[in-house]
Amino acid sequence: MRRAAARAARRLRHRAALARLAALLPLPFVYAAVALAAIKVLGLGAQAEARLILGGIGLVAVVAVAVLLAWLRRPPRWAGALLLDQHHGLSGRLTTTLELAETPPAERSPLAALAIEDGVSACQKLDPRGAVPVPLPRELAWAVPLLGLVVAIGLFEIRTERVIPPPPTFEPLVLTDDDLELFGRMAEELAQQAQDPGSLAAIRRFNTLVEDIAARRLDRKEALARLSELDADLGRALEAEREARELGLDGIASGLQRSGLTRAAAQAFEERRLEDAEKALRELAERLKRKDKKPSAAELARLRQAMEQASRASSERLQAIEARRRELEAERKSLLRKHGKDAKGAESDPAVADNRRKLERLQRDKAQAEAAAREMSELDRQLAEAARELEKALGKSAEHIEQGAEDVQRMARKAMSEKEKRELLQRLRDLKEIVRRQGQGGADRQRQIARFTRRARGQQGGGGDQPGKAGARLVPGVEVDVVPIPKIARVPGQGAADGAPGNRGGGDPQGPGAQPRSGAEAGKSHDANVRGEATAPPVGETRDVTAAGIDTGEGTASAEVIYGAAERGFVGKPYRDVFVQYETVAEEALEKDEIPPGHRFYVRRYFQLIRPRE
Amino acid sequence: MGETERVREEVETFQRRIGALREEIGRVIVGQRAVLDGVLTCMLAGSHALLEGVPGLGKTMLVRTLAGALGLEFSRIQFTPDLMPADIIGTVVLEQSAEGRNVFEFRRGPVFANVVLADEINRATPKTQSALLEAMQEHRVTVGRTTHALPEPYLVLATQNPLEMEGTYPLPEAQLDRFFFKLEVPFPSREELHAILERTTSDQRVEVRPVLTREDVLAMQDLVRRVPAPRHVQDYAIRVLQATHPNGEGAPRSVTRYVRTGASPRGVQAMLLGAKVRALYEGRFAASIDDVRATAKPALRHRLLLSFEGEAEGVRPDTLIGDILDAVPAAKD
Repeated sequence: MRRAAARAARRLRHRAALARLAALLPLPFVYAAVALAAIKVLGLGAQAEARLILGGIGLVAVVAVAVLLAWLRRPPRWAGALLLDQHHGLSGRLTTTLELAETPPAERSPLAALAIEDGVSACQKLDPRGAVPVPLPRELAWAVPLLGLVVAIGLFEIRTERVIPPPPTFEPLVLTDDDLELFGRMAEELAQQAQDPGSLAAIRRFNTLVEDIAARRLDRKEALARLSELDADLGRALEAEREARELGLDGIASGLQRSGLTRAAAQAFEERRLEDAEKALRELAERLKRKDKKPSAAELARLRQAMEQASRASSERLQAIEARRRELEAERKSLLRKHGKDAKGAESDPAVADNRRKLERLQRDKAQAEAAAREMSELDRQLAEAARELEKALGKSAEHIEQGAEDVQRMARKAMSEKEKRELLQRLRDLKEIVRRQGQGGADRQRQIARFTRRARGQQGGGGDQPGKAGARLVPGVEVDVVPIPKIARVPGQGAADGAPGNRGGGDPQGPGAQPRSGAEAGKSHDANVRGEATAPPVGETRDVTAAGIDTGEGTASAEVIYGAAERGFVGKPYRDVFVQYETVAEEALEKDEIPPGHRFYVRRYFQLIRPRE
Repeated sequence: MGETERVREEVETFQRRIGALREEIGRVIVGQRAVLDGVLTCMLAGSHALLEGVPGLGKTMLVRTLAGALGLEFSRIQFTPDLMPADIIGTVVLEQSAEGRNVFEFRRGPVFANVVLADEINRATPKTQSALLEAMQEHRVTVGRTTHALPEPYLVLATQNPLEMEGTYPLPEAQLDRFFFKLEVPFPSREELHAILERTTSDQRVEVRPVLTREDVLAMQDLVRRVPAPRHVQDYAIRVLQATHPNGEGAPRSVTRYVRTGASPRGVQAMLLGAKVRALYEGRFAASIDDVRATAKPALRHRLLLSFEGEAEGVRPDTLIGDILDAVPAAKD
């Protein structure tokens, strides 16, 4: 009886667990359906999908735990027995028997004993399975369509139109052959002039860049990036070299100031006239060699001091910087010690910040001084040797001074090479500006430039556009938005286009040579051709005496050359001469006058376009 | 003979006697088995019953027959509005003794009988109704300074008409609580009515013979008290009682809504004692949950005080008890 009751109780647990499962099972299915639909329709990312899957696993775990808890929960004590009683119609005999049997026999009343006996006899065949059926809950039926729904959603394919981004198009930077030829020739010229390896390397890089553009291997963005990089490298190198040399020269100059024999050289060094400094040093060496003009002992002593001082200037400066750096380091350590481990406090301390700034500045000064010392190392060595030999043998000292002069010459050459670098830098910036503006005008502008360059080379413009008429503009057929070429003043006899009161018609329709007539009275109306006839200069018959350039007054006039160039192209020696004259004036004006940098480009670009062609 | 066997024989005797009693009463009363069993249960539990039914259903006849079959003294009190407490309890009267002296003598009222029929109890004033309180609860009455014991077994069977409310005095809750069961006397079925007609409109004269003695009844009452009620049965009865209270544990929604006050502990006593009697009726030796369920309605229906809403909606207490029995699980920890 007890076993039957226990089995019935166990079946009750099964039933409870099954009921809980039936109640909760739709939840994971619904979740799975919604999550699958969301993943398929919304196209969530991998992270969101992972979260949804984790959520599903969590939900399944929750359901499993809930079902397990339902199974573990013990039913009320006599639940199984009562159900058996009910199933077998025992009117509570079984439960009563089981409960009363727990009382020790001695304590049982006769009626209790009778009840147990009655129960035992009545409960012969007990059927826990029948008493506690464990049917599949009706709610489980929901799980089947839900499972079907999940499978259907899983199998359902949503066709999404994936937009495949077009492959990145490479649009090479296209410069006109004319421009490429210009920059290529510039690089060639600069390479021929270059004297030091640094300049040559920079020119090579520039030339490679131009070649790459010519081969259409670069797009606009990349070309600009490489130009900017080259610009920055060249600018930095130039600045560093200049500063180092000037620092070294200042040190040498201040040392040589101490002696009257080297004062001229010191002055030249100070004013950066290296050729003069070289010359002054050579003269000093000559004087030391010559016995007739031998300096006095006092002069020689001062000279020795001066040369020693000059040779030590760079190293002394370095030592001073190093000493100051050590002081600042010690100060920094002391300040940081004061703050202990409080890193934030140290960061916010103005004294620490000031110290850090000074150290950084000193570090820059040190690097500069080291560069200056390297730059002046040979000159310093020669001056030191010369000072040492001054007491022993003047001849040897003079030789060392001459070698020092040689080194100054090297420095002068190097300074010259800086000019090449500056020139290269300027060309680089021009090219950069051309590239930058290249995209602004569009294809029409490109065509115009191409046509212009063809005409500039003496070829006829084509491509369907009307060629410009000679004389209408200096550069025919091109709408150039650059600074216009200086106008050639009208010569007398060409006829003014402006009418004047009392002078009907004003302009002489007959052309050159006609005298303006004075009216006897005020004019009542005006000539239909108010502007007069177009100017028709008789080439070869007139002589231009005023032009916006320098006219020597000899040979063919500048205006004639320019007119000729407009028709035949920018070729020929006369045009080259006129161009050089004009460009020289323009360059001088650019150097001297306050012209905004943006406008300078227009001027330079203009001259690039009208430069003489081979 | 062992104790167990003796008790077994007692139980068998109990069943034989009950059978004989039913048979004897059945010779006069047609049908009304449930009412008869309820009345017998009340008697065997040593308590009282309230019978409610329309006039003419044989309530008085049932009680009278029962008293006759039991061989017990029977009295009938017809409650009227002018009935005074002394009319039912008795009164002291001045009498002349044999010696010729005037003495006060207590004249016992109709409550001094083994079976008292309080007919149409709700027609008397509350004062008179209350006069029955001590008699029903204590089985004794006090007049002046003298307490008079009532004969044992003592059974009050009160009747009331549920239809005629004019000029009636509904029983106070305290008095209602003293009735063990409230039994509703149903209208007879057609077959029963045929039998009633046969018996009452012919020349048949049925005389009821006493089948039990006063001692038999007392022995049966003693046996009932000895029937064991297992703990789980008591627990079930208690949980049913708790569920009759609007705020009680396990109370169904209808109870919360329509009941003002639930049953008193006398309710659970009535259920359990009734269950014991029922177990003996069925030849079992211990009360069961089924017995408690069977006695719940007569034991609780007069102990539920309905709320205004319940009264207004005409909710029947039996419906509420049915809800309670449905709601309370047989087993609970």
